[in-house]
Amino acid sequence: MNKGWKGQLLRVDLTAGTCKIEALNEEWAKAYVGGRGLASKYLCEEISPDVDPMSPKNKLIMATGPLTGTYGAANGRYMVVTKSPLTGTIASSNSGGYFPSELKYAGFDMIIFEGKSKHPVYLQIRDGKAELVGAVHLWGKSTNETEDAILSEFHGDAKIACIGSAGEIGVHYACIVNDKHRAAGRSGVGMVMGSKNLKAVAVRGTGGVQVANPKAYRDAALEAYGMLKENPVTGQGLGALGTPVLVNVMNQSGGLPTRNAQTGTFEGAEEISGETLASTYLKRNKSCMGCIISCGRVTKIVDNKYAGDGEGPEYETLWAIGAACGISDLAAITKANYICNEAGMDTITFGATIGCAMELFEKGLVSEKEIGMSLNFGDSDAMVKLAEMTAKGEGFGKKIGLGSYRLAESYGAPELSMSVKKLEFPAYDARAVQGMGLEYATSNRGACHVRGYLISPEILGLPEKLDPQETEGKAGWLKIFQDFTAVVDSSGVCLFTTFGIGVPQFTKFCNAATGTDMSEEDLLVAGDRIYNRERMFNLKAGIDPSQDKLPKRMLEEPLPDGPHQGQVSKLPKMLPDYYKVRGWGKDGIPTEAKLQSLGLS
Amino acid sequence: MIKVQFFSLLRMLLKQERIELSAIEGETVAQLLARLQKQLPTPFLHKLLDDDGRMHAGTIILVNRHNIHHLQGLQTPLNDNDVVAMFPPGAGG
Ligand code: SF4
Repeated sequence: MNKGWKGQLLRVDLTAGTCKIEALNEEWAKAYVGGRGLASKYLCEEISPDVDPMSPKNKLIMATGPLTGTYGAANGRYMVVTKSPLTGTIASSNSGGYFPSELKYAGFDMIIFEGKSKHPVYLQIRDGKAELVGAVHLWGKSTNETEDAILSEFHGDAKIACIGSAGEIGVHYACIVNDKHRAAGRSGVGMVMGSKNLKAVAVRGTGGVQVANPKAYRDAALEAYGMLKENPVTGQGLGALGTPVLVNVMNQSGGLPTRNAQTGTFEGAEEISGETLASTYLKRNKSCMGCIISCGRVTKIVDNKYAGDGEGPEYETLWAIGAACGISDLAAITKANYICNEAGMDTITFGATIGCAMELFEKGLVSEKEIGMSLNFGDSDAMVKLAEMTAKGEGFGKKIGLGSYRLAESYGAPELSMSVKKLEFPAYDARAVQGMGLEYATSNRGACHVRGYLISPEILGLPEKLDPQETEGKAGWLKIFQDFTAVVDSSGVCLFTTFGIGVPQFTKFCNAATGTDMSEEDLLVAGDRIYNRERMFNLKAGIDPSQDKLPKRMLEEPLPDGPHQGQVSKLPKMLPDYYKVRGWGKDGIPTEAKLQSLGLS
Repeated sequence: MIKVQFFSLLRMLLKQERIELSAIEGETVAQLLARLQKQLPTPFLHKLLDDDGRMHAGTIILVNRHNIHHLQGLQTPLNDNDVVAMFPPGAGG
């Protein structure tokens, strides 16, 4: 094809130890854009949704989009799509850095891993050629050590994605880390990779990415570049303070779930804020491939028992390991963040699980003897110790490695897990931000913020300010956000660009790159198609609409503090609207007519 | 007294976290902003407002943690002991 898409995929049979190049299905690529959408289509065609996520029959797909590796905005992303061992839903996790673009430069739009290797292996790709090589010497190494070891085998010239100990030992929220500090973070995609005995993918590519219409592409890129530079968020704010700027925003707005969401404000917020991070451990900002926003945080702690260096913490991590655990020690949070990155663990689920364990402990449901230490809210030493134990699969760390739902359920209190479909919700309280609660309930991978980020209008006022307590109209807003996000994830561009550019710019980009002639509406229909494709996978996997819910605490325990004191989630009011706006039946199942209109029946 | 808190790029620009001002009966947020600008040596209003004095998309001003968008906007009246928090447009996630 060579127009945005490279036109070929790599199929790696780990059982047989073979690598085969196949033509990309062009018809599917057009209908599903690429990345998340196209990989979901392949997954749905190739595995049975009821497959055991840990069985060799599950597949793991790494997929770039048609814009990955091009210039103009922040076009260096990829998605990892598989069936999640944490949630049982379709999993698709996004990451940036440099690995995704390198995969394109080596000639591939995607890699499909199937089967299971007998021994640890890693995949080497050099400009269109691929082979599996032994990785026994890498097994047990951290993500940093793994990358360094492989780099020396490539004479320093490769981009690497790998798992750490978490993926090897079955932490249910293990992630896949690339370029040392970027992660396909949520849903346990690293656990699936580990189950296949696949330690890493190393790729070196020296080709480029051609676009169908270079002149139109350059115009689109120049327009996007100008808009992103002009915009105060993408042009300045994210670079200066990164995502952690939200700690104070959410705390002041009364929607920072604190101590396992028992309150909506945290008295220690200022100490873990982006402003404090910028004036203490932040060394510089950093960008992914071709990105002008540069939101990455390069940090270092010296002269402290938590000394270390790396990248992060990001906002969600500051919340999860901080406010959700009642911890305001920024050094301890940063240290735990480093431990998670090196072990390859999702910091959101890790922190939320510790917060849940702290509540179980304080309620007397789990004993000091069983944990091996006391575990009160605010105990940063215990939290850091448990990060180490979870990374190694030691003692109570094994239970923390199951995620909060399985942990709380094992003590007879699943309602203390702040999760939907077994995925912990991130740093926004559904009682303070009604639309976000609807997003948690309906996101195809469980409670997630990056499927339909209604915080943008409800709290940040972008593109316009909506009342966070209003329920009217939220379903419509959410559908547009979810469909557009599906397109952005599928195109290979960073979601953060959408604070500065919108559907018109993405339509121009996609058309110029791929040679299609889509209208803005067509693009959103593609997003709708992707969303419904994922929904159908989940339904067939047994995740029925009764799972479109929120933790009891969100629905029945009024927020005790802050500007939204007294509020609960009004999900029961919004959900029927949402099903209607989506064109689904009252039962939450896409109608035949809806599926037909999207070419999905 | 009115307690004003500066966040994000505003804090970095002004190099201070907060300031206290005496309360003036009937003063609105817009009037408070004008008074603050007179008092502070660094120009900062452009971070929050456009040339016509309207809030930029994304500017957050909270009075006692309530967003003024859902009160009376810049015309929201202030009372003694109010806390006003100001954020220029920002985002993350
Ligand atoms: S905005 Fe941040 S996360 Fe997104 S591509 Fe740029 S540096 Fe990476």
